[in-house]
Amino acid sequence: MPLIDTDVHESFSSLKDLVPYLQEPYRGWIATGAWRGFSQPFAYTSPGLGNRADVRSADGSASVSDYSLMRGQLIDEYDLTYAVLTGYFYPTGLKLQYGFATALAAAYNDYVAEHWLSKDDRFLGSIQINARDPEAAAREIDRMAAHPKMRQVMLPVVDDIAYGHPMFKPIFAAAERNRLNVAFHHTTFAQGPYGMGLHYMERHCLIPISLMPQIISLVCNGVFDAYPNLRFMILEGGFSWLPHVMWRMDREYRQGRIEVPWLKKLPSQHCRERLRLSTQPTEDISTDEWMKLIDLMGTDDILVFSTDYPHFDFDDPNAAIPKSLPSTTREKILWRNAAAFYELSDCKTRASEAAI
Amino acid sequence: MAKHVVCKLEELDVGKITSARIGRSPIILSKLPSGEIRAVGGRCPHQGADLSYGCISGTTASDRLNEMTFCNFGETLRCPWHGFSFSLIDGLPVVKDATQMPMKLRFYDVKVEGGDVVITT
Repeated sequence: MPLIDTDVHESFSSLKDLVPYLQEPYRGWIATGAWRGFSQPFAYTSPGLGNRADVRSADGSASVSDYSLMRGQLIDEYDLTYAVLTGYFYPTGLKLQYGFATALAAAYNDYVAEHWLSKDDRFLGSIQINARDPEAAAREIDRMAAHPKMRQVMLPVVDDIAYGHPMFKPIFAAAERNRLNVAFHHTTFAQGPYGMGLHYMERHCLIPISLMPQIISLVCNGVFDAYPNLRFMILEGGFSWLPHVMWRMDREYRQGRIEVPWLKKLPSQHCRERLRLSTQPTEDISTDEWMKLIDLMGTDDILVFSTDYPHFDFDDPNAAIPKSLPSTTREKILWRNAAAFYELSDCKTRASEAAI
Repeated sequence: MAKHVVCKLEELDVGKITSARIGRSPIILSKLPSGEIRAVGGRCPHQGADLSYGCISGTTASDRLNEMTFCNFGETLRCPWHGFSFSLIDGLPVVKDATQMPMKLRFYDVKVEGGDVVITT
């Protein structure tokens, strides 16, 4: 059976890996250490410090930038048909120096194209942008959309952006005209309504709550309606909360449609038709509970599988998605829904060839 | 078949809710912009709110974010509790939802006879 992993984090070994892809003055800024990169505002509490503890290079050092290691631990290990690279470096996190952030996004895209996408025909890519400068982001989307493996634009969830705001229209317009999807992924800056909490456990529990507002913002501000060909992916936020968000938006729409007449469909209908959620991190629920949640969503078209490799809350496809699910539903989660979302028509052929 | 005189025609106006009763049953009445009189069961089909505290409004239309036109004034009833909007033309919710239990306003057969508003049950 084919298998598509929709959330795989490639990385670089050092910011200096971006130097060859940068123009001055930014090249010098990175080369001389004028910027040290993003720092996480918390300590990881897992044995692998945020990653699976077995993600180690031959010399024993932790590594998240080694293609051969990823291939051995993930792509070949699980015989992935496709792996969607979603990044781990999101320049939108910079709240100043927009030109620098935009240059970093372009450099990172070029780095990924050369050092990751070119190495394995099972990789698909995500275009990184500096969303704080939407016009520049749109130009970067137009530039990178020419790459045949780029299938989506990545909008990182930070602490101060709800992407339905009209200022982000150029990004959605660029994604739509280039037939790209739009994906959302949290970052180390993502917060709940009262910050990150006081413990890593709190912060990690709050991640879904940083993603819910993005859906609500997109729906209420008419992004689904204004860009009818766009499709949206919520990554690494789990999924068990989606029925609530759909119900709540529908209920509010019945009262509040007068305020948002550009919204032409029930919010839940928009979600069922054009929103997809990656399953990871799953919550160790029973098969019956999986089916209840899918039933509450009203369709089994929404969920797509992801591992989140190399991170510590990795989902093994053989364990995380119960084998006791109805086979048609399990197939949809493991590959069919993602194949439809990313327009991958050759999954069965690839899987057959890989089995020979 | 029973006839009930519930109010005078002059008590009704577009955009106005007029309360009345048929026996123990509350009803509300309003005049539509077309001149037609609409008599409606006085409890919201959603959770039973007293519709005499609601309002007659219109709807909005838009194809662009943050731009809208207000239209159909007098043809929409809004519930006083949850704000749900119902069309006074067909009795159905303005927001259609095939996944929900059907909700529909109860319309009464209403006529004007010599200045009186008469409902037949």
